[in-house]
Amino acid sequence: MADWTPGMAGQEPLPYPFYVDIVTKRYFDGVDNKNLSKVLNCFHPDAVLHEATSDTVHNGRDAIRAMFEKLFADFDDIWHGNFVHTADPVSNAVCSQFTVLITPNGGDQLRYENCNRFYLKDRLFQHVFVYMSGDNLLKEGDA
Amino acid sequence: MQYEPGLSRDELIDFAINQYFGNVDKKDLEATLNCFHDEALLCTQTSFTRHSGKAEIKRMFEDFFASYETIVHQDFTCTVDEANGRITASFVAELVDSDGQTTILNNTNFWRMRDGKFQEVYVYMSGANVLV
Repeated sequence: MADWTPGMAGQEPLPYPFYVDIVTKRYFDGVDNKNLSKVLNCFHPDAVLHEATSDTVHNGRDAIRAMFEKLFADFDDIWHGNFVHTADPVSNAVCSQFTVLITPNGGDQLRYENCNRFYLKDRLFQHVFVYMSGDNLLKEGDA
Repeated sequence: MQYEPGLSRDELIDFAINQYFGNVDKKDLEATLNCFHDEALLCTQTSFTRHSGKAEIKRMFEDFFASYETIVHQDFTCTVDEANGRITASFVAELVDSDGQTTILNNTNFWRMRDGKFQEVYVYMSGANVLV
């Protein structure tokens, strides 16, 4: 599918629960428990994660890995919850609103009200857009 | 579900893109406000701004329409949850003020429908909030 574009027509639809589960039970559960393999297993090797509010782009799973390694090292506790999803098998996409409670090492807890747009190719994330209600937390990794 | 679903996929897309943004871009205040319930919420999450009820939403749109000579929303990518009456769209907003200054935003809206109108609207902006 060389000409894949986010949300394009003609993709094979997956069952509705698949979209909610990959976001909550696999991706964010992996993030909240700092399980890097579980997180990265949600992405294609050439996936893109784009933080839209700061226009920060992480190109490819290696860059996404480096970003998460930094996030996991810089923050003690991470929690995502209060989800509301717009799940769409027809366009193979799911958009999610949620609250983030995150505590920097040695700092005070921060609260964000964020959203992500997840566009799947087959059964994995190919392009993810993130909007944050505060400073970007998904900075370029040190690796 | 939060609200009983009512509109089909095509009707949700038509409501959000044509009836709502089409009328915003025409600065048709009455038609824009007709998309909202009286007690609707419009929240810009990226700046923690909330407009509660049609009177506050009306005041916000009056100021928004007065702030820009032209307002164009385009390049939509829609995600539709027909079973739950929710639709999300990413889009480009191109706003030109009376001095010719252009503001480009790459935004995302989440709409939750109830009985054929917006009950809750959440806006995530790539730049400073223009819906103040």
